[in-house]
Amino acid sequence: MIRFLRILCLLVILGLVAAGLLMWKGWGAGDIPAATVDLASLDDSQRADLVTRGEAVARAGDCAACHADPGGGSDLAGGLPMVTPMGTIYGTNISPSADHGIGGWSADDLYRAVAWGVAPGGRNLYPAMPYVSYHAITREDSDALYAWLMAQPPVEKPNRANSMIPPFNFRFGISMWNALFRPDAEPFQPAAEEAPQDARGRYLVDVLGHCGECHTPRNAAYAMTDDHLAGNVIEGALAPDLRGAALAERGWTESDLDQFFHRGVAPQGVMTFRMFPVLAHSTSHLSDDDIAAMSGYLLAGQDAPGPKPRDLAGNPDESGHQLYLGLCAGCHGTDGRGQPHSSVPLDTNTTAMFADPINLIRIIGHGIEERNLAQGERMQTMPAFDDQLSDAEMGHLATYLRQRWGGQPEAVSAAAVSDARDTIRQAEAAH
Amino acid sequence: MAIQKISFSATINGQKVGPMDLPEDLMAVELLQEYLNLTGTRLTCGQGVCRACTIIVEGENGPRTVPACITGISWLNGRSIRTIEGIAGKDGDGKPVPSAVQQAFLEHFAFQCSYCTPGFVNAGTVLVETLERAPIPAAQVEARILDALDANICRCTGYVRYYQALRDVILNTPGLTTDDAQETALNTAEKA
Repeated sequence: MIRFLRILCLLVILGLVAAGLLMWKGWGAGDIPAATVDLASLDDSQRADLVTRGEAVARAGDCAACHADPGGGSDLAGGLPMVTPMGTIYGTNISPSADHGIGGWSADDLYRAVAWGVAPGGRNLYPAMPYVSYHAITREDSDALYAWLMAQPPVEKPNRANSMIPPFNFRFGISMWNALFRPDAEPFQPAAEEAPQDARGRYLVDVLGHCGECHTPRNAAYAMTDDHLAGNVIEGALAPDLRGAALAERGWTESDLDQFFHRGVAPQGVMTFRMFPVLAHSTSHLSDDDIAAMSGYLLAGQDAPGPKPRDLAGNPDESGHQLYLGLCAGCHGTDGRGQPHSSVPLDTNTTAMFADPINLIRIIGHGIEERNLAQGERMQTMPAFDDQLSDAEMGHLATYLRQRWGGQPEAVSAAAVSDARDTIRQAEAAH
Repeated sequence: MAIQKISFSATINGQKVGPMDLPEDLMAVELLQEYLNLTGTRLTCGQGVCRACTIIVEGENGPRTVPACITGISWLNGRSIRTIEGIAGKDGDGKPVPSAVQQAFLEHFAFQCSYCTPGFVNAGTVLVETLERAPIPAAQVEARILDALDANICRCTGYVRYYQALRDVILNTPGLTTDDAQETALNTAEKA
């Protein structure tokens, strides 16, 4: 017994030492590169140029996706919920309000927050702030972003407290997480022999666009795994596999990706769920060159034959076929070709192609409100059918769509629909 | 390719219809107009957006509105449906008597060209019948009317009179609200 206690004591001590070492390693921010600009020395025109560049950084980095005020009026005043398994985090006020925002921050403070995840005073940010992706932001971009942020109107709106499940409400614990999963901040450099456009695409997708934060699978500690952009179910939706081969296999081409980023719609689908605000705040504002760089980087030189309806997979589910004719064909057509600017074609849509049917179930169930997308593109209301379709009926309909256009022969069971509906309900409860 | 058919039967305005062999991808509005000569259901946008084609489908949880232009007969097969032709009652001589909703629309001069009216009548009827099963406080009636009629489009812009007519029906029909409707109607009139 005593021997057991001794071992236990030793283990506890070792554990504490290890935890202490991790805390020490992940504590605070490391070195930061020197500022690239002395704001005080700029004349009005130089400052205006910097602010314009900073706005482009803010667009590409999509700050508003999380920091916008859901009540409207400001893209920076905070309050949007982000649902994680550890609890709900609310986007903070990053307007230059001295009391509620970042009005008191320096350009160094902003770089530390963005690239290291550490706010003034050494306070750890939650990794919901994508500093793991932003760690490679260039100091030039961070400084331009700072100039833009400070030129925006301050919004005197207090932050909403996060509702994290203990022990995740203790911010010092993030130091341990940082020690294990946070890369050191290191400004982006093109790789040897990397073409400038490829490097720009990689910087936009992996660093500023932080696409991997949703599209890369996460481990048990909710850190991104090495399966970069391999797809992930997050906030009640599948953020699909964005690797070149997977994109090409689902019919994406560079020009279709360009259209998707620019207008929000392509033969493969329409910006939905969390991608709709990404379109509105970010990708629809990017330059043609930047969009082309992203599309090129994502497709990674894959041979891309383009959108083509898949062959029928298996014997089409007859109940699902009748449900399709009764509820869907009126807008999407018996042949699934849709109607331009009002209902998307389903024969080339990728949603039915995913192994996981959650997006299909969510869209059929909840519908999509009518929307202006971008550059004049728009979509009409997609009605919601959740209260008309049992789990079994939804399963039949999803099965039919997947067989007909998704190349997925397996049936979606009522139990799978029920599970998906639970996941969706939990994610939506916070919104 | 041969047209695929299904055997269709339903109860429409209380009458048994079918079984009849119909193209499986037929939309409800086409069934009503072309096969059954029920031409009161209006086709307009053909995309389920304007709601002029609204019909009523009885469900386990009460009646609900359905856009006939984008709802296929395969969804309606075996169900009980009401169209604008089935809303009015009949007097002792078999002459049609407008329903309370129809009468209120007439008295309020709610419509001009009337093209959207069948949709508004059916949406209003579903709301009245829903409130019969689950009354609400009078203070919530206006918001509920907005919710029920919001999707229906009227290009003569008769919205206010449609809404006022339906509010009158709801506040003056006993059992649709949970508080003293008479008093609320008076208060509303005074405010107006």
